[in-house]
Amino acid sequence: MRLVAEQLTVNFGGLLAIADVDIDIGPGEIVGLIGANGAGKSTLVNVLSGFQKTRTGSVKLGDSVLLGLSPDRIARAGVVRTFQSVRLFSGISVRDNIAAAAAVLGSGSESVDTLLELLDLADRPDSDAGSLPYAHQRRLAIARALALKPKFLLLDEPAAGMSPDEIEDLDRTLVELRDRTGMGLLLIEHNINLVMSICERLVVLDGGRVIARGDPDAIKSNTAVKNAYLGTEGGGH
Amino acid sequence: MRAAIPTLVILVVMILAVSLLGVFGSPLLLRVVIGAMINLVVVIGLSIFIGNSGILSFGHASFAAIGAYSAAWFTLPITMKKIFLPSLPAFVLSTQVGLAGGAAIGAVTAAITAAVIGVVIVRLSGIAASIATLAWLAIVHSVFSNAEALTKGTSSLVGLPIETNLFVATFAAILALVVAFLFRFSRYGLMLQASREDEAAALASGIPVRQLRLVAFVISAAVVAIAGVLKGHFLGILAVGQFYLEFTFLSLAMLVLGGMRSLSGAVVGTFAVAGIAEILRILSSGFEIFGLEVVAMPGLREIGLAIMMLLILLVRPMGITNGRELTLPWKRKTANELPITNDRTG
Ligand SMILES: Nc1ncnc2c1ncn2[C@@H]1O[C@H](COP(=O)(O)OP(=O)(O)O)[C@@H](O)[C@H]1O
Ligand SMILES: [Mg+2]
Repeated sequence: MRLVAEQLTVNFGGLLAIADVDIDIGPGEIVGLIGANGAGKSTLVNVLSGFQKTRTGSVKLGDSVLLGLSPDRIARAGVVRTFQSVRLFSGISVRDNIAAAAAVLGSGSESVDTLLELLDLADRPDSDAGSLPYAHQRRLAIARALALKPKFLLLDEPAAGMSPDEIEDLDRTLVELRDRTGMGLLLIEHNINLVMSICERLVVLDGGRVIARGDPDAIKSNTAVKNAYLGTEGGGH
Repeated sequence: MRAAIPTLVILVVMILAVSLLGVFGSPLLLRVVIGAMINLVVVIGLSIFIGNSGILSFGHASFAAIGAYSAAWFTLPITMKKIFLPSLPAFVLSTQVGLAGGAAIGAVTAAITAAVIGVVIVRLSGIAASIATLAWLAIVHSVFSNAEALTKGTSSLVGLPIETNLFVATFAAILALVVAFLFRFSRYGLMLQASREDEAAALASGIPVRQLRLVAFVISAAVVAIAGVLKGHFLGILAVGQFYLEFTFLSLAMLVLGGMRSLSGAVVGTFAVAGIAEILRILSSGFEIFGLEVVAMPGLREIGLAIMMLLILLVRPMGITNGRELTLPWKRKTANELPITNDRTG
């Protein structure tokens, strides 16, 4: 079952946040979504996850139509996103952050424990989520999303603010997860080396439009991408 | 749920302890304790919605009114009904049920009403939802004040059998506590609390936020309605004004002061405010100290309560319990006492 979006356009009072964007992710695939700040990456994730309404285009998971469904129904259908701004349930415990999402499927506490281990959060499961260090918070957001057993996981800058070591760990975890569960991943990431190393395919947005797509080597040598983005990578954060 | 059992036990013991004050105290104290138990049912009912969803409701007094009056239509002795409310439907005029039956009728009527109005309220979030509950209260108050045939309008409805005693009130408080406990520590309670922390993140986690809010709203309306029924059958008299702004202010003060986010907060807050309100009430009627006569100060209770609320909230913005549940000292998590440095950068 593939996640296929076609011809998505979002307009904020005259500002084209995304225009005619197509994206297609297969099971087990890791697709990178890159582009400078304001390119429309988060907007695309918002549309795919039902947080941003749009009248044009289509979003489908296999044969079922996702566009127009509420965000919670899309998440239950298996397309789950994380937020660039993390958005944990700050006042409740680390364990309960995951348990709340697991409760949607009626999953028990073993699956919560497994996720705590997997994302290296098992050392303080009873702390309030809001009191965790930043990198832990990012990992908890991913653990919470995984509690829904997603078919497709959309990660909006999961590594922002992490140290290179933490990024490498996260990187390894994501690939391992993909191998184990066969889920598809859409990864928004500014760290170009990370994206190039783990993604099979990349989509490059600029000014809300797709300016290039293809495998990492093709993207590296694409002149349009070089001009629009790679050249400015240092400042693209 | 199992980990929270000590909390339930502690709260039940607290309720029983307060109840014992009534058993061994003066007749006046007995009345105060019964009143506090009825308030506790209100506040626990409120906390089922407010505590879990994070949406402040100013409208729950309406459900107490709906419960109280719909029960009274059936519990009033038939002879009295024919005199006071002659235009009730014939089958109501010819039926009489006891307090338990009345409570069931009140709870079901309020729950059905809440399910209808709740559909509108749960579509809103934050302050908009709260304002909607206030508007709802105004509607119900206005309808009840004018529905002469059902409520005797602005005059009082008298003759309700006085059946709310200490045992009944304590039993209702413990029942309300158990209902609230089961909901709070169920998976539905957890999901709703998650939406309280961050609605968008809850939706992104697949949580059906509106539906859960509605469920909590209906359960909490039913519990508050039972308190309304008990109140009517405690005083023997119903007036629409009993279920309006003062009722709303006092019950919210109890909840906020105790700590909105925990069930322990509802219990601690109710007893603390009820106790202080009673002391202030006694003081406000004037007293003598060292031969000096302090004159009666009407309004001292309201002003004193308001000032106390301000002071407590200044020191503990999350209420007396700080939004935590009471538990056995050795079960308290050390993690929360050792704040972890937060090197948040973005
Ligand atoms: N809710 C909104 N209202 C108005 N403009 C928005 C809104 N969300 C995003 N935008 C604008 O849309 C463009 C794309 O934003 P975004 O998708 O967040 O970019 P990215 O995630 O690639 O940095 C930006 O110009 C941004 O200012
Ligand atoms: Mg973004």
